[in-house]
Amino acid sequence: MLGYALRRAIWAIPTLFGVSLVVFLLTTLLPDPTPDGGGSASEVGFRLRTDELRRARFLDLPRFLNTEPHDVRARVEDCVAHVVLEDDDAQLCEKRLSQIGGAGLPHLLPHLDNLPPTARGRIAVALAPIALRMGVVEQRELADPGAAALFWERFWEDRSVDFTAPAVRRSVDRLVARGTDLREEELRVVDTFALEHLVEAMRLTKDTNALIRLTRLASHVTGRDVSVKTGDDPKRVRAVVSDWLSWWYVHESDYVLLQGGAKVTASIAQTRYAKWVLGAATGQLGLSTRDGQPVFDKLLSSAPVTLGMALLALLLSAMIAIPLGVIAAWRRGHFVDHATALLLLAFYSLPTFLVAELLATFGRAADAGVVLPVVALATVSLSIMTQQQRASMIEALGQDYIRTARAKGARTLRITVFHALRNALVPTVTLAGVQFPALVGAAFVVEEVFGIHGMGWETLRAIESRDAAWIVAVTLLCAVVTTACLVTSDVAYGLLDPRVREQQIRRRRAT
Amino acid sequence: MTEPPDDPNRESIPLLLARTSRRAPAGGGDGAPAPAPGPVPPPRSSLRAPSARADKAGTMGYLRTRLGAAGMLVGVMLVMIAIFADMLASDFPIMCKLHGKTWIFPNVTQPAELVALGAEAVDADAEWKLPTLVSHGPSSSTAAPLLPPGAVKGHPFGTDREGHDVFARVVHGTRTYLVFALAAVVTSLLFGGLFGSLAGLFGGATDALVGRAIETVSAFPPLVLVLGIQAAVPKATVATLFLAIALTRWPEVARLVRAEVMQVATRDYVMAARALGASPLRVLRKHIAPNVRGQLAVLGAVGIPAVILIEASLDFLRVGGPLGTASWGETMSEFRDAPGAWWLLAFPGVFLFATIVALNLVGEARRESFDPRAR
Repeated sequence: MLGYALRRAIWAIPTLFGVSLVVFLLTTLLPDPTPDGGGSASEVGFRLRTDELRRARFLDLPRFLNTEPHDVRARVEDCVAHVVLEDDDAQLCEKRLSQIGGAGLPHLLPHLDNLPPTARGRIAVALAPIALRMGVVEQRELADPGAAALFWERFWEDRSVDFTAPAVRRSVDRLVARGTDLREEELRVVDTFALEHLVEAMRLTKDTNALIRLTRLASHVTGRDVSVKTGDDPKRVRAVVSDWLSWWYVHESDYVLLQGGAKVTASIAQTRYAKWVLGAATGQLGLSTRDGQPVFDKLLSSAPVTLGMALLALLLSAMIAIPLGVIAAWRRGHFVDHATALLLLAFYSLPTFLVAELLATFGRAADAGVVLPVVALATVSLSIMTQQQRASMIEALGQDYIRTARAKGARTLRITVFHALRNALVPTVTLAGVQFPALVGAAFVVEEVFGIHGMGWETLRAIESRDAAWIVAVTLLCAVVTTACLVTSDVAYGLLDPRVREQQIRRRRAT
Repeated sequence: MTEPPDDPNRESIPLLLARTSRRAPAGGGDGAPAPAPGPVPPPRSSLRAPSARADKAGTMGYLRTRLGAAGMLVGVMLVMIAIFADMLASDFPIMCKLHGKTWIFPNVTQPAELVALGAEAVDADAEWKLPTLVSHGPSSSTAAPLLPPGAVKGHPFGTDREGHDVFARVVHGTRTYLVFALAAVVTSLLFGGLFGSLAGLFGGATDALVGRAIETVSAFPPLVLVLGIQAAVPKATVATLFLAIALTRWPEVARLVRAEVMQVATRDYVMAARALGASPLRVLRKHIAPNVRGQLAVLGAVGIPAVILIEASLDFLRVGGPLGTASWGETMSEFRDAPGAWWLLAFPGVFLFATIVALNLVGEARRESFDPRAR
């Protein structure tokens, strides 16, 4: 039985892959982001902000295959080349070099000598902010290109030993184990070179004191002001850490050197699709542009509203549909049967938003209570469930065992409930799993009418403000929920009825 | 591959399939259904002896035929309204004589000369005219906003928030919706038919690919997918809406066509045709298509109300983008800003409801004539 359930779940994998592709293609339709406040396209600050926004959506990466995955060395070399050529991007690249910081020094300083003198000077001056962050020098000592170049040459002679991964990892481990200001100072000197290990340590440790030091250090070297303060509550600590992790997820390639196998993996992993899918799978759905909150958090608060409402509506419609279907089947061809059939057709044809609007108007409860929205939603699935119940009940009543029971003198009620309904319920119960997604879709409309702040309401606001991250996340979530419902429903059907199980497996084999 | 009849997960459950154990009168038929000859054995699956009522052969079948006919009638009326929308409501009369010149059908042609003059001037200056039923177009806002029906002569359904005549909006909305839905359904039938028959004919990898594509698209709740696409495209237009809706509809068609093609492809006459050297395309056209055509018609008939529903919902939520000159959903959405103006909800609502019920009835009737299980 478990084998069957597993097998059915595995069938869903291609579907989920397809879903991710469709939603991914949806994201490629979205317009490129532009920073607020405007600015000219040639201004360095504006370009940096644009780049940042683009990177947050991995637009700097190729879609499906990255033939030249960037790592810190590639980025540094690229920037240096621009500076040497003194083209339009030179200024931007100088800024970038200082952002890449310590992690780039091992790939830059040893080659400084080979550069033409003017470029060497420009780069040495551009790197000044790094030295200031490290706290090893005064501003005025680096103002002159010649002096700056000399400083960096000497710096590398003295300190290159510090820029080795094992040494830095040990330092970070010691900082986590027993944090002192001295150890923090020590790590400050390698600047962003330590970032990889700092983030790794953030991921692993739970100790607030260590996290204070780690996030403070990371904030210092990157210039982002996101750190744990003394006395923060655990929730805020977690938020800060997850903020750093998602930042690292986007910016990792600026600071990490790819070697050997990692380079091959990166050609697939460093793509827009892979980054997006892995991020989505781990709950990193980006920030909502409407209010700047993490989309995942917003989903956590609004999805239960919508899903809960849909579930209640499903229960309500099942509670009405099952008895109604039984009665219709039992009194088949009679007035009751015809009347329900007509009534259900009417319900089936009523637009959800019309029902909701009517209920909201005449119920005068637009801002209170969950009853009316649920009733409005329940009309969506009522017809189909009743029809299913009626059809399967009719089939069950026609079976030989019913006649046997009848012949043995069982009472009508007993036959209907114990003999027929038990079997006839199975398809209806599993149909519920399929109806659930339809209800979720309809809930979008109902929420808007009743002003309930669930996923649908948020989505419509997101459409108004073109909040791409949210729309993508909701579409993805709905598809995943639908697929999950389908699998659950199939598995439940198979659980309840072994014949169906065999049939499904056979059918799958046939395709 | 055929879907097992007891699998509720894949097929929509037909409504109104009130099956009596006896056969409904044979499709089409000649007038009243004949009572079954001789003593009727009690229906197998009923617990009670059939009452006299149920005994009158196929009450439901009769009713169903009648309902199907009624649905068809309403459907035809709606189509007429859509076609003759300009005769029912327009800024210009059907015919008029103005400044010595006779105009014929200016309501349809909207001549630039008259448009420049303005509807009111034409009305006032015409020597004689044959007016339309309501002499306001869907876009002219000459009246006061939010007039209730009958408050002012010439606005039988009242006016909306911008002073548009609601009757004109509803009548022209019929045209907008029917044209749109028909186009979307035809597109989805074309695509679904194409992919379904490809999968059915070639099998193997093609089939697997199409199968996964079908599953993928059906994994999205239609409204959510359409919302997502409309929100994601840089500029939401009627064209994107149209494609988005067609995208959500094709898997259903493809699934049916694929199953049918696969089933028919194993029949002897198809084998024989193949053996005689007929190309797959010819087999598809001559031998398989006739088998599928009827079912496609059913899907088309039930597809139109489904598309109209989605469309109206989107308009109601005001995310559909500009659809055309007038739409029911748009008018109905204005009710949310003007809660007292019931006519904004009622008239388009009745039209919408009538359209969907009628087309569903037609769809059911069509389905029964092709689905032996439904008899």
